[in-house]
Amino acid sequence: MSTPGELIPRSSLAWLLVAQLTVILPHLPRLPLWAGAFWLLCVLWRIQIQRMRWTFPSLLIRALGLLLVFGMVFSHLRTLIGLDATVMLLVLLFMLKLLEMRTPRDALVVIYLGFFVTATAFLFDQGILLTLYQVGVLLVLVAALVGLQQTAGRQNPLSALRVGGMLLLQAVPLMLVLFLLFPRIAPLWAVNAPGSARMTGLAESMAPADVAELARSGALAFRVSFDGDIPPASELYWRSMTLADFDGRRWSMGAPLLSRVSWEPRGPQFDYQVVAGASGQPWLFALRGASSNDPGVLQTADFNLRARAALNAITSYQVQSRPQSLLQPEGLNAAERARFLALPEGVDPRSRAWAAELRTRHAGDADLIDSLMQHFNREPYHYTLRPQPLGQHSNDEFLFDTQRGFCAHYAGAMTFVLRAAGIPARVVAGYQGGELNPRGNHLLIHQFDAHAWVEAWLPEQGWVTYDPTFAVAPERIERGLQDAVRGEGSFLEDAFLSPVRYREVGWINQSRLFWDDVNYQWQLRVLGYQSEQQLRFLQNWFGTTDWQRIAIWALLLVLLATVPVVLWILRPARRAADWRVRAWQRLDRRLARIGLQAQPGEGPRSWELRLMQHLPGQRAELKAFFEQFVQVTYAEPEAGSRRSARKALQQSLRVLLRRLPRRRPPQPTRVLDEVLSSGSQPPL
Amino acid sequence: MQRLRGLFRGWLQGWLQRRMPASAEVRLGHRQIFILPTRAGLGLLALLAALLVAAINYQNSLVYALTFLLFSLFWVTLHHSWRNLAGMQLRSGGVAPVFCGEQAALSLWLDAGSRARSALRLGWQSQQRLTLDVAAGEPQAATLYLQTTRRGWLYPERLRVETRWPLGWFVAWSLPALQWQVLVYPHPLQFPLPVGGSGADAEDGEPSALEGVEDFAGLRAYQPGDSKRRLDWRAWSRGQGLHSRLFTDLAGDSCWLSLDLAQGNDLEARLGCLTGWVLRLERESRPYGLLLAGERIDPSLGEAHRDRCLRALALFGNSP
Repeated sequence: MSTPGELIPRSSLAWLLVAQLTVILPHLPRLPLWAGAFWLLCVLWRIQIQRMRWTFPSLLIRALGLLLVFGMVFSHLRTLIGLDATVMLLVLLFMLKLLEMRTPRDALVVIYLGFFVTATAFLFDQGILLTLYQVGVLLVLVAALVGLQQTAGRQNPLSALRVGGMLLLQAVPLMLVLFLLFPRIAPLWAVNAPGSARMTGLAESMAPADVAELARSGALAFRVSFDGDIPPASELYWRSMTLADFDGRRWSMGAPLLSRVSWEPRGPQFDYQVVAGASGQPWLFALRGASSNDPGVLQTADFNLRARAALNAITSYQVQSRPQSLLQPEGLNAAERARFLALPEGVDPRSRAWAAELRTRHAGDADLIDSLMQHFNREPYHYTLRPQPLGQHSNDEFLFDTQRGFCAHYAGAMTFVLRAAGIPARVVAGYQGGELNPRGNHLLIHQFDAHAWVEAWLPEQGWVTYDPTFAVAPERIERGLQDAVRGEGSFLEDAFLSPVRYREVGWINQSRLFWDDVNYQWQLRVLGYQSEQQLRFLQNWFGTTDWQRIAIWALLLVLLATVPVVLWILRPARRAADWRVRAWQRLDRRLARIGLQAQPGEGPRSWELRLMQHLPGQRAELKAFFEQFVQVTYAEPEAGSRRSARKALQQSLRVLLRRLPRRRPPQPTRVLDEVLSSGSQPPL
Repeated sequence: MQRLRGLFRGWLQGWLQRRMPASAEVRLGHRQIFILPTRAGLGLLALLAALLVAAINYQNSLVYALTFLLFSLFWVTLHHSWRNLAGMQLRSGGVAPVFCGEQAALSLWLDAGSRARSALRLGWQSQQRLTLDVAAGEPQAATLYLQTTRRGWLYPERLRVETRWPLGWFVAWSLPALQWQVLVYPHPLQFPLPVGGSGADAEDGEPSALEGVEDFAGLRAYQPGDSKRRLDWRAWSRGQGLHSRLFTDLAGDSCWLSLDLAQGNDLEARLGCLTGWVLRLERESRPYGLLLAGERIDPSLGEAHRDRCLRALALFGNSP
């Protein structure tokens, strides 16, 4: 920083413009096209100012620019609040700030804004590629800061980059330790996930069209890694939520159940870890009979897992599932029973009549359900992602007329019939199956794996899972959607660029799975490093849960990261190579402490004489040392005596150093001083 | 309040004096270097606080990482700023006398030792600061300019050596008391020469003809201090050695300058007037002598003579 009146030199301006471009680039896809034009205008204006063609804008024009920015944000997003609007405002103001950038101090503000804008890009994208890119951006910003400090006339972009890179490298160890150890506390206040409105994923209510929408998306929903063996695909029913209320068209979640969780764990247990992306919703994914020890994870009364807060960031959690457990076997209370039997009036009369007929034929609930499943299997039902549109009595038309649909149609219709027949039932929404990535031995569950199935309550067995889709199209369950719709070619038909679509091409699939594994590790170890993961990691690493011991280890780690860096930065100037020079310097340092210094360029002889004036008590030692010194420095010693000469010099130095006074000696008489010193004396 | 501030300043000077006694050469070590975050550094900390809140609220590992990286950078630059001064050696060099009102050019030797130093700023409060880099190795000379306001001896206050290298987040500074002393001559004033002016007690009693024509009297071997304009270049080019030409008026026709002859309202103006005359007479190669209370400089010519006169004028009166 320099005096306020100073202007930004041309080289610094070039740096700043490059830095600004690199900072803005990751935001461009979220900005309208004219934002780029706006930036170019600001750049042009600023360059013209530098060339003395134009002047800095007046207050009025700057105010108009500010209004323009707000107008642009509002016209694009229809709002001025929320994260997206805030970030867009920030980016546009960052551009506009160019026109106010007169002095190095303004440039500093621009660079700080650049740091902030860089950080906000991470709220929208946390991919590896963006992160690598942002490291480069940071380097450019730091180099721009260095450029502002460089001596005028000696600015050098390359050396600024080198200094910036060196500083960043030296900052890395402490950064890593802070990243590992800084306690991850809960959010201070609730915030909305960026762009949550646009996120794909399950919703709290479901019409068949919604699931069809998901089936067209090749995006990843979540990843799972099992501690032991992975269950077969046909058992991978990832529950997310249950839909209890039906209004004639949509199944929805409705009010949460208030009863307590009651279940009898049974059968084998699977331990696994789920890494879910930011969905903006609290619903988690788990196999049947799931529980979790993570404090951020709750078990709901309908046997799903949910997070305490909506997932605004990549989240990982540990689950134990025992899929064969009995869920709520002791019975439903009256309110629950009424809710799971409720149907809207006046819709689907044919389905109701068929349900009544089934009821008369089968006394037992299980028998009735079996015959229903056989019906789906026997009759010419067809699994398709391109169903015909359905009218007012959607279940009637689906069951008896079109008989073409996908999981949501089957699950909805079956639940309707079961309720009409007096069996409590609900729709379960979640995902089914998953693709194994053999590289990381984890499962990938994509959005197109979204699935809906049925849960019916039977006496003594509790909630039992049925999947009508399995009766219609077992290949959907056993091998996944791609096989199930192979005939009609509707798998990801809109997503030409999705690599998942081409997973039958060998090398594409190999690289896709490799990249997926890298991303998974990234999400698991870096992005998902939040409160519980941190706790688990620290306890594993330090092998203790005792906070005091963890604190001691943490302190050691901090020291380990800081001390070597400081020692490296402050490393002493290189030692003189020559032992004679070293001895001379050693004496110099010692004498400097008592205020005696050789004149620049003063020879040993004159220095010795002056020292003798200052230190009359040490004349003998001084003489010995200086004689040795002159001897070894100016007379070429014989090869054999070199070693002994060195020893002798060091010996005489040691003796002299021992005998030197601790304090500044009194000044010798003035006359002598004037004669002996060639420099000017201080006024006394 | 004013008194308190004065007391504090006195205490501070005493403390500095104990910590960094005046000396012609100073090596900057940990006792001599102070370091504090700058406003830019504090601004960065505020920015980091905002980033930390964002990281916590969005549970965003990468924003955490960015925050920690910038904080580490802050910490790293602390050491770099300090290192940029540590081990430097400063040595005051000579200073040519100046006329009051001019800027004294103080020469300074900077020895960076084995590390290059970047963006050092040297100077005094409220004065123009010099910014420079010092390469490793040989000592490097720099010239600092200091505005003079008073004739006599000038002892510059403690020099401020500071650096904000590399990122401007910390300022490391030192206040070495280098032993410069500057002789400040009175500010020369232009007044017409006194007609036939001479001291009343001039030896020969005969007023010298100031406008008189100089007669060439002969050559003598060059002595340091002889005016360059009196050198006999022709003889020198013939290889006969350096000689000064002598003129008749050097022997007899000389003029005496004294405060009585000087014009001006006060002592300083009179001294300024005398200074102006000395310069003019020297320029016109007319011998002059100076009579001041308690000091008598016999008429002569040459730079050494001129400087002796100017020095007497500068130190006239209560100046030490």
